[in-house]
Amino acid sequence: MSARRPLSGIEQIVGRPYKYLRLEWTDELAMLRVRTCVKPIQCYSLAGLTEMQRVLDDVAENPGLVRHLVLSSDVAGVFNFGGDLALFVLLARARDLDSLRMYGRRCIDMVWWLENAAQRGVHTIVLVQGDTLGGGLESVLPFHKVIFERSAQAGFPEVLFNLFPGMGAWPLTIRKAGFSIANDMVLSGRLFTAEQLQRRSLVDLVVEDGEGELAIDALVRTVDPRLRGTLAALHARHLAAPITYESLLAVVDLWAETALTLTTRDLRLMERLARAQVRKVGGEDEGAVEEIKRIELDTAWSDLRGNTQWDEEHGTGVTVWTGLPGG
Amino acid sequence: MMPFFADLVMRTDEARREFETNSVVLDAVANGMSLERYRALLLELYHVVWHFNPVCAAAASRIPDSQRQIRYFLYEHMHEESGHEEWVVNDLEAVGVARAGTDAHAPSVHTLALNGYNYWAADRRDPCSVLGMLYALEVIASVYGGPFSNAIRESLLLEGDRGVSFISSHATMDAEHMASLRKILNTLGDGPTRDAIAESTLVNFHHVTRIFEAI
Repeated sequence: MSARRPLSGIEQIVGRPYKYLRLEWTDELAMLRVRTCVKPIQCYSLAGLTEMQRVLDDVAENPGLVRHLVLSSDVAGVFNFGGDLALFVLLARARDLDSLRMYGRRCIDMVWWLENAAQRGVHTIVLVQGDTLGGGLESVLPFHKVIFERSAQAGFPEVLFNLFPGMGAWPLTIRKAGFSIANDMVLSGRLFTAEQLQRRSLVDLVVEDGEGELAIDALVRTVDPRLRGTLAALHARHLAAPITYESLLAVVDLWAETALTLTTRDLRLMERLARAQVRKVGGEDEGAVEEIKRIELDTAWSDLRGNTQWDEEHGTGVTVWTGLPGG
Repeated sequence: MMPFFADLVMRTDEARREFETNSVVLDAVANGMSLERYRALLLELYHVVWHFNPVCAAAASRIPDSQRQIRYFLYEHMHEESGHEEWVVNDLEAVGVARAGTDAHAPSVHTLALNGYNYWAADRRDPCSVLGMLYALEVIASVYGGPFSNAIRESLLLEGDRGVSFISSHATMDAEHMASLRKILNTLGDGPTRDAIAESTLVNFHHVTRIFEAI
């Protein structure tokens, strides 16, 4: 069987000079490992997206070659911070709807490829070993199997700065977890632990920290003997609960239009988050996840302070808040 | 055809990311700087700001009548930026560098290379390449200026805009400038001019990154 395999195909795929990806090929399982390393800030930069799409296009151009596609991160503690926040700030300040749409469309092209991976004969797995925010989580959801290590956290913080996740979060979360959970996750901006996400059916498997690689190997070896049936079932799942490219596109356009309405305060919050990401990659313990928690707290405080009905509705609570330092 | 601003963002995004992810810049945006290094940065910045309008004027004088909208854009921009080098001088005085010290400072080779390229590009390459200088400097100011000035304020315990007035105010002003720069760039359809502006953007990002690295 391997004699008939077009060797030039895999040489073409893994032989390309990537700056932000590290590719590995396991011939025995026809498994392509893709490790992202958009250092030092692991996010979906334009160049990172271009490289990722190149890999996916290469896989599509060599049908039957790759049976398992596995994505993980090379950056310790971070799977993906999502969108390139500095780029968003730049484009929002330039009021550049064209570029925001273009960026969003590149993201959904990747989501759409993964959504159709079963029809291409490719089983997809993602291993998340660290923080995964916004677009980072959106990029995880279309994978057939989602593995989280226990300390990983994820969420859609966009609402905290008056935006929403526009690259597949809604349809993919609704399909996996239901409308109510999607509502809660997107509209609250809260972060969730691996276990919480598993209880919400967004994560298939939670393993202890450091055991993700073993889990991948076990999963691939379990699926591989029954790959044709698995892929047919996943194709059928896509037909039973379809997500259309047109709907993804419509949401991206709405996302881009919403990004143009961001105020200076919103952009400052985004910058605050970007600065926290930088601190994390600079080696500090606290990063974007901790900053999101602080932003949530700040928002809650200002909501409470700004809500004139709050005193009447919550009575003694005022005493509690004013009794705290700065309250 | 893709609007030129979007095209420029695409073509130069790697250079922007290289500036943003340079370890010195990362640390400065996250944690601020020591007083000594901040003074050194402002002294270099003074020479960039001082030559900004002369570069724009050199470019404006060479821009053909067919691109008069660029010339008018530069006139307005020069008017707005006029005298801003004094803001840098004031910030330097606020952090303990007297005017005489600023006047006596010889710019680093990286600043000389930045200014030298911009004059050369306006004179010999394509006068519209000055828009690449504007794009790079305004992206740096509007995207990174806010977090950077906050980090400096925190690390040096400065009050209000004292000592960071130039960077802080340009973070806000250049946000407005970005929108007008996008509009003017989108009026350009000419291939070689687009290439010259993209090249200038790359060179400006490169040299500003080197200036940060060297201080």
